[in-house]
Amino acid sequence: MVFLNPQTRVVGGGKGMRIEVERSLGQSAEASAREIRALLSGRKIYALNLISSPGSGKTSLIEALLGRYAAKSRVAVVEGDIETDIDAGRIRRHGVQVRQINTRSSCHIQPSQLLSVLRGMDLEQTRLLIVENVGNLVCPAEIPLGEDTRVVLLSVTEGDEKPLKYPLVFKTSDLLVITKTDLLPYVRFDVERVRRAARTANPAVEIFEVSAVTGAGLPALLDRIESLRAAKNG
Amino acid sequence: MHELGIANETLDVALSEAHRHAAKKVTAIRLCVGVLRAVEPGNLSFLFEHLARGTLAEGARLDIEEEAIRVACPACGDMEADSFTSVCPRCKGTPVTASGGDSLSILSIEIDI
Ligand SMILES: Nc1nc2c(ncn2[C@@H]2O[C@H](COP(=O)(O)OP(=O)(O)O)[C@@H](O)[C@H]2O)c(=O)[nH]1
Ligand SMILES: [Mg+2]
Ligand SMILES: [Zn+2]
Repeated sequence: MVFLNPQTRVVGGGKGMRIEVERSLGQSAEASAREIRALLSGRKIYALNLISSPGSGKTSLIEALLGRYAAKSRVAVVEGDIETDIDAGRIRRHGVQVRQINTRSSCHIQPSQLLSVLRGMDLEQTRLLIVENVGNLVCPAEIPLGEDTRVVLLSVTEGDEKPLKYPLVFKTSDLLVITKTDLLPYVRFDVERVRRAARTANPAVEIFEVSAVTGAGLPALLDRIESLRAAKNG
Repeated sequence: MHELGIANETLDVALSEAHRHAAKKVTAIRLCVGVLRAVEPGNLSFLFEHLARGTLAEGARLDIEEEAIRVACPACGDMEADSFTSVCPRCKGTPVTASGGDSLSILSIEIDI
C-alpha cells in the first residue's frame, strides 16, 4: 500500500470529524533520499549501501573493494557507526576519501545526515560511493539512502534462520552476500536454507558467497559490483 | 528504535492536518503497520504519547491496525500467512514470494473543531 499523493477526505461534520489521510510514512526520508539520488546522478556516481549486523564483514568487504580499484580518487567511503571513527581510520589507510558519521542515539544513518556529509565532500572525480550503515538488520532496512544498490551481508556464524527473522532487509536488498564462508566447517549453517528464504523475500536478489580470509568468491562479487557501476555511468 | 522516527512523523502529519482544519484537538490517529515492519506497538504508543505532550495531539489515541503478512504461491495464489515462510502454507510444496505485510501509513485522523 503506497500513497504517494495523500488523499484527504473529510468525513462527518460538527464538533468531531475524521480526516481520511491515507499517507505513507517515511516521506521525509524519501525526500532526502531523492536529493541524494539527484546529487549522485548529476555527478555520475554509483552508490552502494552496505547493511548487516555488527561484525558480519562490511568493513572487510569495503577493503576488498578498494583493493580492486587502482585509481583511489575514484572511490569515496562514508562510514556509519554509533560511536568512534575506527572504521574510517581503517579505510583511510587505503588512501581514499572517507567520512565518518557518528549517529549517537540513532541505529541507522539518516538520509539527511548522509546528504549533508556528501555536500561537504569533494566528489569531482568520484565514480563509486560506498556507504557502510550502522550494524543493525532492522532499522537500516526502513531507510532509503538514495543508493543504486543495497547490499545485505550475513555471516555464516549468525545462523541460517536470519532471513526468516528479519525479512524486510532481505526483501529490500539487491545483493545478498554470505560472508566468512571459510568458517562453514565449524558452524551449523545451511546455505540453501538462506538462499530459499532470501528468494522468498525478493525473487530478484543476487546471492554471493565470499570469504575475506581466503578470498574465495570475492572476484565474482567485485566484478558484479563493477559491472553494475559501469552500467550506470560507463 | 525506528519507532521514534515513525512517532515523530505521525505527530507531524497529525498536527499539520489539525492546523489545516483549524482543529482544537486531535483525538485519535489510525495507523496501518505491516508485520514485516517489525514495529513494537507499545513502544510506538509510548514514544508518541511523550512527543505529543503540550501539542494539540496530547492524549490522542493511537489505533494501530496490523497488516498481516501475505505470500503468493504460483499454484494456490495469494494468501495470508502467520509468519514469514519460504514454502506455501497451503500446498506445502511450492516456494512462495512475499506479496504484502510491509505497509506503513496513516489512514485517518480524528479531530475536534
Ligand atoms: N574468518 C573470517 N573472519 C572475517 C571475515 N570477514 C571479516 N572477518 C572478521 O570479522 C570481524 C568483523 O569484521 P568487520 O569487517 O569489521 O565487520 P563489520 O562490523 O560488519 O564492518 C573482524 O574481526 C574481521 O577480521 C571472513 O571472511 N572470515
Ligand atoms: Mg565496520
Ligand atoms: Zn501453494
